[in-house]
This record gives sequence, C-alpha cells and structure tokens, in this order.
Amino acid sequence: FRLNIEGLLVYFPYDYIYPEQYSYMLELKRTLDAKGHGVLEMPSGTGKTISLLSLIVAYQKAYPLEVTKLVYCSRTVPEIEKVVEELRKLMDYYAKQTGVKNDFLALALSSRKNLCIHPEILHANIVVYSYHYLLDPKIADLVSKELAKKSVVVFDEAHNIDNVCIDSMSVNITRRTLDRCQTNVETLQNTISRIKETDAAKLREEYRRLVEGLKEANVARETDIYLSNPVLPDEILQEAVPGSIRTAEHFVGFIKRFLEYLKARLRIHHVVQESAPQFLKDIYEKVCIDRKPLRFCAERLRSLLRTLEIADIADFSAITLISHFATLVSTYSKGFTIIIEPFEDRTPTIANPVLHFSCMDPSIAIKPVFGRFQSVIITSGTLSPLDIYPRILDFRPVTMASFTMTLARTCLCPLIVGRGNDQVAMTSKFETREDFAVIRNYGNLLLEMSAIVPDGIVAFFTSYIYMENIVASWYEQGILENIQRNKLIFIETQDAAETSMALEKYQEACENGRGAILLSVARGKVSEGIDFVHHFGRAVIMFGVPYVYTQSRILKARLEYLRDQFQIRENDFLTFDAMRHAAQCVGRAIRGKTDYGLMIFADKRYARADKRGKLPRWIQEHLTDGSLNLTIDETVQLSKHFLRQMAQPFRREDQLGLSLLTLEQLQSEDMLQKIAQIAQQA
Amino acid sequence: MDEEPERAKRWEGGYERTWEVLKEDESGSLKATVEDILFQAKRKRVFESHGQVRLGMMRHLFVIIDSSRSMEDHDLKPNRLTSTLKLMEYFVEEYFDQNPISQIGIITTKNKRAEKLTDLAGNPKKHIAALKKAVDSTCVGEPSLYNSLNLAMQTLKHMPAHTSKEILVVFSSLTTCDPANIYELIKTLNGLKIRVSVIGLSAEVRVCTILTRETGGSYNVILDESHFKELLILHVKPPPASSSSECSLIRMGFPQHAIASMSDQDAKPSFSMSHLDSAGEPELTLGGYYCPQCRAKYTELPVECKVCGLTLVSAPHLARSFHHLFPLEAFQETPLEEYEAERFCEACQGELKDKSVFTCLACKKVFCVECDLFIHDTLHCCPGCMQTDRMS
Repeated sequence: FRLNIEGLLVYFPYDYIYPEQYSYMLELKRTLDAKGHGVLEMPSGTGKTISLLSLIVAYQKAYPLEVTKLVYCSRTVPEIEKVVEELRKLMDYYAKQTGVKNDFLALALSSRKNLCIHPEILHANIVVYSYHYLLDPKIADLVSKELAKKSVVVFDEAHNIDNVCIDSMSVNITRRTLDRCQTNVETLQNTISRIKETDAAKLREEYRRLVEGLKEANVARETDIYLSNPVLPDEILQEAVPGSIRTAEHFVGFIKRFLEYLKARLRIHHVVQESAPQFLKDIYEKVCIDRKPLRFCAERLRSLLRTLEIADIADFSAITLISHFATLVSTYSKGFTIIIEPFEDRTPTIANPVLHFSCMDPSIAIKPVFGRFQSVIITSGTLSPLDIYPRILDFRPVTMASFTMTLARTCLCPLIVGRGNDQVAMTSKFETREDFAVIRNYGNLLLEMSAIVPDGIVAFFTSYIYMENIVASWYEQGILENIQRNKLIFIETQDAAETSMALEKYQEACENGRGAILLSVARGKVSEGIDFVHHFGRAVIMFGVPYVYTQSRILKARLEYLRDQFQIRENDFLTFDAMRHAAQCVGRAIRGKTDYGLMIFADKRYARADKRGKLPRWIQEHLTDGSLNLTIDETVQLSKHFLRQMAQPFRREDQLGLSLLTLEQLQSEDMLQKIAQIAQQA
Repeated sequence: MDEEPERAKRWEGGYERTWEVLKEDESGSLKATVEDILFQAKRKRVFESHGQVRLGMMRHLFVIIDSSRSMEDHDLKPNRLTSTLKLMEYFVEEYFDQNPISQIGIITTKNKRAEKLTDLAGNPKKHIAALKKAVDSTCVGEPSLYNSLNLAMQTLKHMPAHTSKEILVVFSSLTTCDPANIYELIKTLNGLKIRVSVIGLSAEVRVCTILTRETGGSYNVILDESHFKELLILHVKPPPASSSSECSLIRMGFPQHAIASMSDQDAKPSFSMSHLDSAGEPELTLGGYYCPQCRAKYTELPVECKVCGLTLVSAPHLARSFHHLFPLEAFQETPLEEYEAERFCEACQGELKDKSVFTCLACKKVFCVECDLFIHDTLHCCPGCMQTDRMS
C-alpha cells in the first residue's frame, strides 16, 4: 500500500506493515533529508531490507536530483540474492500501481563471473553488491570508482564492518606468496624482453606517460569524478613516477630487490614487531630502497601490466599483493604495524614464517566512502552499543537509533545462567575454565536442556580448543552418552566441507523428530552466516563470553592503537567485541515474529551491567531482573514454561493491530504515538 | 519403612514458580497474554464447529499413548503417565457418551516399540480396565511414532470408507526413534484419509506439526493439567466428515431389552455372546438384548453382533449423537457497551461483566461467555428457546 512518510509518498509492496518498519523509514528519511550518515539497529526478521529499499527508491523518485543512486552492500551471496528478490517485488508493485513501465535499472553483482559491468554501473539506479566492491582497494578501483557523489550507500549486516575494513587493508605475506611472486617476476621479465623485440614503441610510450606523471588521475580527483583510493595517496598524484622505476626493466629489478629483502626478513627465529617508519629505515639501510619509489609501486605495476596487455590478472595476485604492501607501508606511517612471526603459536616446532602487515585503523579503508557519498547508512540486527561504531570508524552520524521488536507475544526468552545446581559459579573465565566443576555444570546444563527443548539446539563455545577440551571431558564423565539419549550431537570443525555435512545432517535430524544438538564456535562459520529458523534452533546456548584470543600480537597492537588514538580502553573494546559476537550467536534463533527461541547465556559475567548493557536493545528489554543469575534447575523450569506457552496456536490475527498493522491501523493517532517510542536515539 | 521409594515427594519435585501463573500484564504494553489468545481461540472453535458441516458420527479412533522415559516427569502430578491415564479414562467415558456408535482402541509405545493395549472395540469398560492396569507399567526408552502409527494404520485401513478414521497421539517425548522415513508414512496416512491429531505434553515438535498439518488433524501442547483435559475433551466431539467420504446406508439393529425376573418360570439363564472373547469369568444372566436378526444375546450395547455382524445400538444412543447433525447455531456476539437492556444472563442469572454478551438468534435471549460455551459445548440446545417453546 501507499504510505505517507513526512510528506514522502512511499510504495510498500505488502498488505501489512510492522510498526518498527514505519519507524525505521521515518529515521531513514530524516537521515537522507540531512544528507548525513546514519547508524540504525533493527532486529533481524522485521523486514529491514524492504523498508530500506522502498524508502530510498521512493526518495529517488521524488527527488531525482538529490539522490541519484542507491548502493546496497551486503555480506554474502545469499543475502544479496535476498535483496534482489525484495527489490523485484517492489518494482513489480510499482509497475502495477503506477501502470508505468519501470525505468529503474538495478544491478546486482554477486559473483566473480558477472564482474565485467563497468559501463553499466554508471547508469544503474540501484547497485547491489558485496562490501568488498566498495571497501577493498584492489576491487573498489575496478568497480566502484565512478559512482556518483549523490549516491546513498547502505551497509547491511554491518556489525563487523570494522573487521572487513581492516582485513581489506591488511597484507599477510608467507613464504609461498614470495615464491609465487618470484614466478610472477620471471614471467614479467620474459614478457618484457619479448615485447622489446617486437614492439619497443609500446614501452617507450609508457615511459613517456610516466614522465608526464599521473596527471589524469589528479585531474579526475580534483574534479571529483572518482572515488579516492586509499592505496593511491594524494601526494603521488602531484608527482611523476621516480626515474629509478620508470623503465620496465628497472622496475622489475626493483621489485626483485624488494623481494629478496622480504625473503631475508622472513628468515628469522624470533618474533619481530615494528612500525612502518622502522621498516622503511631498515630497508633503506639494507638494500638502499628509498621511500619514494616504494610508494609508486602499486601504480607502476598496474601500468606495466596494462602495457604488457596481460589478460589474466589473477595469476599475478602475488606480485600485486607485494606491490600494494610496498605502497601502503611507505604511505601510512600511522595506523599500521608489521609483525613477523617465525611460527604459529600453536605449533612452535614447525617453521612457518609470516609477515603480518596489519591495519589497526578501520577508518582508513572506509574514509573515502564517508568522504565521498552524501549519505552512508550502517545497519544491522546487532549494532549495540551504537556509539562505538562512529568512534572506531571515525565519522559523524546525523542519526543513531535502535529499534525494538514489537511483539504480540514474547517470543524470545533470554536467560542468564550463572550457577550450577551445586551453586558453583559458571564461567569461562580463564582461571576457572579448566575447573572440573565448571565443565560438569556446563555439561549438566546441556543435558537438562536436551531433555526439554524440542528439535534443534545450537550451542556456541568461545573457541575450537575450548570446545575440544570440554567435549573430551564430557565424554570421560559420561555426560555425552546421556545427552545422546535425547538428541544427536554434531560438531562444527574448521574444515568447511565437514561442517556443511554436519549442518545438513543436523537439519535432517531436526526435521524428522530425532532432535539434534550442534556444537559450534562463536566467530565460526555457523555463528555468522547460518540462520536457524523455527525448529532448527529452538534454543541457543552460549557457553562463556566469546572474548577474542587476547594473546595474539596483532590484537594487542590494535588495542594499543585504539587506546592511543581513539581513547577506547582495551577492556571496553574487548567487551564490546565479545558482546556483539554473543548477540550474533543468540540472534541466530529468532528470524522473525512467528519464530520463537530460548537464548541462554551460560556465564555469570553476563549479568554484570557492563556486559548486559552492550546487548542489543531488543534482547535487553526481555531480560528481566528475575532471569539474571539462575541455577540450572530454575532455567529448566522457566524454559519449560516458555516452550509450552509458545507452542500454543498463534495466528496472524493475533498479531494484527499489535505488531502487524494495516494501513488504517497505522494511521490511527495512538498507534503513531506508540511508534514514536520504538526508536531510541542513542 | 519407605512405602513409595520410587515416587518423589511433592517437595522433592521440580522447582516451580507458581506465582508466575498469576501474571499481571503491564497495562499499555504491547504484550498480550497467551491466556487471552487462548480464550479467543476457544471462542473461535465454537464458531468454526457451527457451520453447516457434516460430522462423522461413526468414528474409529486409535489413541496412542507415549509410555517412554519422559512420562516419568513430575510436572503433572503425581507423574505424567498416571495423570494421562486418569484423564484417558475420563475421555473414554465421554467419548462413548457422545459417540455411541463409534469404536476406540489404545496403543502404547515405549522402548522403540509399539503394542496394542486394546483392540478397536465399542465397550468402554474393557478399555477402562486396561487403562487402570497400565498405571503400574514402567516407562522406559524412547517412543516410536512410526511404529505406533503404522500399527494403528494396519487396522484402520480396513475400516469402511464412510467411517471417520482417526488417530490421537498423546506425545510426551521430544524425540522419536523410527525405523524408516516417517514422511513416507505420513503420505500413506494422508492417502488413506486417516486424520492424526497430537496432544504434546512438553513442547512443540516439528515432526508432529507436519504430521497433523498433512493429515488434517490438530496439534496442541498442554499448559497444565486442566488445559490437558480441555484439549482431550475437544477430541470427544466428532470431526467434520471429509467431503470425499462415501455415503452409504448402514444396517443397524435395535434389539429389545428382554427383562425376565427370577420368578418367571420360563426364564432360562444364558451366556452373553460378548463373553466369547473376554478373559473374565462368563456369567449366566437372565435378561439381555437379543439381536433382531439372529437372536444372539448380549448384555451390553452398543456392540457388533458376533454372529451376524450387525451393529446393535439402542435408540437413546442414536438420539444422543443426534445433536451432531443439527448443531445449535452460534450466538451473536455484541460488545457490552452496546448492550442496552438489563444486564442479566438468562442462564446463570448472574450479572453480565465480560467484554461481550451473546444473543441467541432465535429467542433473542442474552447469555454470558461462560454460559455460551456451556450451552454450545454441553447442552447443545438453547434454554431460552426451550422455554418459549413450552410457553407457546
């Protein structure tokens, strides 16, 4: 039906609307009006996608000069497909209502095979693709460079956006990378000498261009046609490529030298950590490589590859990586750190040297996006606490809001289990996690729950090692055998094929009434991408608080950086990170208003205000004082009661007027008042 | 010293939050209590059943009782099994009261197996005796939904097409141990037009949802014992006959009750034919019902004649199931504010306090919610109309 949102006519392709969707569109409209950025949190399963699409499309139609393009970024291919599906529905509805043939061009880039769309993207009104097309400098340059300034950019499922940013800017170099790079260099050398014999003019032409400098790119940037690329810093554009790497042979020689240096650096026996300036100083002393030519590396290589007309860029990924590294390390003196580890911590006997060039500042990668586009919307089901995102991404939003889920019945039941029946505290705290009593209590909790929860239970552990330890211990104590009498047990492993097999069998067991438990790991594949709708996840149990592995050097460096640069205390960040993953995990169970599920937090630390306060508002508001520090027995009683209540017949009519509205209901005075309360400004 | 070692004392049982039952809803919030939704559903059921539908009066019903380990749970007192069997006894009586020409059979399942407690039969006493005996049985292992459905199906599939074939599962466990794919069996059941309903004792299980949805039955989960009883009673009323079931004339015998006194010289004591297969001691009786076709004697009705296969019923029996054919029409619901006249319920004479009042369309008398339910569920005729009939 048609909605009027503060004077904007919005076509909405469904007969009913959730109150929070209306509220969400309201906030979104305000953000667009202000031409600013926004952070919006709304629970999954409440129709975020369609609200976003219908409002922005309506906005585009109403003010074609203000907003020219919608860029919708999502995380995975299935998510992108879902967006396209919703978009199609919306477009059909438009066509039906207005009777006009649709003049909107929408484009979805989902996989590698339909990447070659460069000219089309300029004309499309809506572009749907993955984060990487916008954030990863290597790809963004190819795809997103020419997006108009007046675009609206949406990052959906953006709770991990800082990590995506960091990953896209970080480089890991192993011995294998170097070996492959070596091969690349040889191929280049051969091609160059061949071309020199056949078509020397081409190389001369390139040389001339490089002397001229990257003027074109500079002009383009000044006239604001392109999205700036963090790998191509401003200073470079002002200057010509230095003479030392201007000819093709010299450049290849240069790369070779650089490569040898890296190889030497990897030949170490102890861990080295240094900053970018330190690295540059060292490289100057050892092999006389200056900072300036390094900075041009990426651009120079690209030019060379273009000149040599090499079609298959994928083969040259190793050398491209190295050239990016060279440029980044010489450009940014802050925000990055270099860590060279001779072996992995877990296997100290096997030499496997890795050079981590790790980005510690997510704002570097996303800065061009915020700088260029007039509105950037960051949205997800779990973005709490909202204020931390603008801080770590370094931007100033005009709206920050968290929406609750209006429910006709309380279909989620968060419980914090803090003690076993023997009153021993339950926690995955480092000092007590190996404690026999803690492990036994965790086992008892799972055993009791397996007896009362129907169909599927998903249990999350904090890490693979912890899971292995606990499961082994349960096996010895005979707990595992008892659990298996109630349900089958499946375990997520680091092997993707094994895990998808386990998932498939898990779903089968849930489907045919046998019942199953899936043991998996927070931050693993299951915790992020897989939804457990309805019977596939009637309960989620989170064993412990999923803190990130704090001994990692990269993390330590990042925490230090956050403290120094953004005044975010280590503990605050670690808790925030742990809680967003916990929220992601438990959020797997509720995928809509007809769904229901138990959310069990099995660690007494969750009851503390600093942890609890970081959960999304839609979970927090169902967390009563009475469910903060429960024993296993109390948990079982509450769960039983909850499951029985939820099993009562529930039809659409019961939702109508409360959490599902028709147009008339929406327009009533007191409903609008209620809607105003849904959004909470942060 | 300890007479009941295996049965936990009340205070040893699970931790209960009895005060939760008396939950008060924060006013103004969006939360609607589940009880409210339930009440609405109850009203709706009354309406639904009052359309002009044909009800299947001849029912063949198998009740499958889960006797697995989970039946030992103490959340129903003293435990689930005892409580269930008690309620089943009540159910069997009610069932034959409302469906005098129908039959029932009982199957139990435990330890991955299914076995027949009683075969399909029309005599409530036999079933009740079997149920009483089953109280002492132990609950072990897992139930098998597949095996028990299969067992019931083997008998039901031979039943004539004009009868209503039903299975009611009382399912306590959350798992089932099946020897084959249950979805194939569900398809077969659907093909045979066997309606399967489930009453869950603990929580909603997916396979039951599918099972009931595919076969057209209902699926409910109990909240507590009284709700359990309510749900069972729902199954006493015959379900609407499926439109595709055949229509046919059924031969029935109405045997006369011959009363003979001891003083009568001609009276000869004789055995009842129903003793043929019963394990109990045969008894000699004087009077009885004689089959109008073959003169075989029976002491109880309704029964299928052992000799000639005729269905023997008594006229009052048939009359009792008569109301299923002509159900009382639903009363009109009006909000209390709009109701102008005196606020008295015609039936209970109490003051009308509920949100809405109910008016009989025929006699225009007004009733409260409780009486409306009572009239439609139990009386099956409007007391107001009866009164006006007599007056005129």
